[in-house]
Amino acid sequence: MATPPPVTDAQLIARCVVGDDRHAFTELVKRHQSTVRACLRKLTAGDHALADDLAQETFVQAWRNLKAFRQEARFSTWLYRIATNCWLMHARKRKEELLGDREAEIADEDADAMPHLSETASDHARSSTLKLDLERAMRLLSEPERAAIVQCYHNDLSHEEAAYVLGCPVGTVKTHVLRAKQKMKAAMAAWAPEASGDPA
Amino acid sequence: MSERTLSVPQPADDWLDRLLVDDAHEDAASYIDDAGFVARVMTALPPAVALPAWRKPAVAALWAVAGVGLAVTLPGAAVDVAREVFRLFAAKPVALSEIAAVLGVLGLGTWTTAIVAWRRT
Repeated sequence: MATPPPVTDAQLIARCVVGDDRHAFTELVKRHQSTVRACLRKLTAGDHALADDLAQETFVQAWRNLKAFRQEARFSTWLYRIATNCWLMHARKRKEELLGDREAEIADEDADAMPHLSETASDHARSSTLKLDLERAMRLLSEPERAAIVQCYHNDLSHEEAAYVLGCPVGTVKTHVLRAKQKMKAAMAAWAPEASGDPA
Repeated sequence: MSERTLSVPQPADDWLDRLLVDDAHEDAASYIDDAGFVARVMTALPPAVALPAWRKPAVAALWAVAGVGLAVTLPGAAVDVAREVFRLFAAKPVALSEIAAVLGVLGLGTWTTAIVAWRRT
């Protein structure tokens, strides 16, 4: 006996919109929670608790705005868009709360700490050290730069899809990625191969 | 610098690309466990707007009243319409072949639309 074909995201969305079906939405959340939370963990540079709070807010907003989803992008891409907006809103709020200088100090501290960690890394800890260094380097980026890097690399989106998620032109996305990579190369110079001759 | 060599050989000019891509692949491979997250989301959703129980019968009653009102205020209107439709068809008799052609076109249109919709989904 053939197994029934799996229910697509579009079918689940239709059930939510037409019948206010919360079981269908539960299935959607189950399917996408891991990728959305992972995306937000990257955006928050490893702050898991904050990432989960923002992920929850993302899905609540998705539920409220499901009728407005016109399927012009994949559902996951649409969720990334909401998640990125949630994170940007939170970052703006936090910026207003914090003194600007303090944030720069934190960034400087992180930058100073990086070479030390990299130098003392053992072979076994190399992978986790690299992850920490990447997170620290990410913290040095501006919000749009960080968002562009996360969408293009972590979420593996094309520049066009990233532009949709970030709500900006494709050219702006490319500029953000380029600038972000320059900053990250400078911050992660210790990881550059010897032969590179890279200025970083 | 063997200590920092990654598993994938990297061109010197895009070492950061490789680091980012490897990191993304590593993250993609590791599934984040639900751990009550879905339940928290579902409890955070706004409550469903429950329609009052009397709403459906009330709407049906209103439609019934409207129908009766129309029937009372426009006596003979339905008969007039039916008579005119009959006259229209009687004045221009339709051949069986014409009916078949129209049905064929309608069927073709319906099936084409259905196939296009099915292929899109």
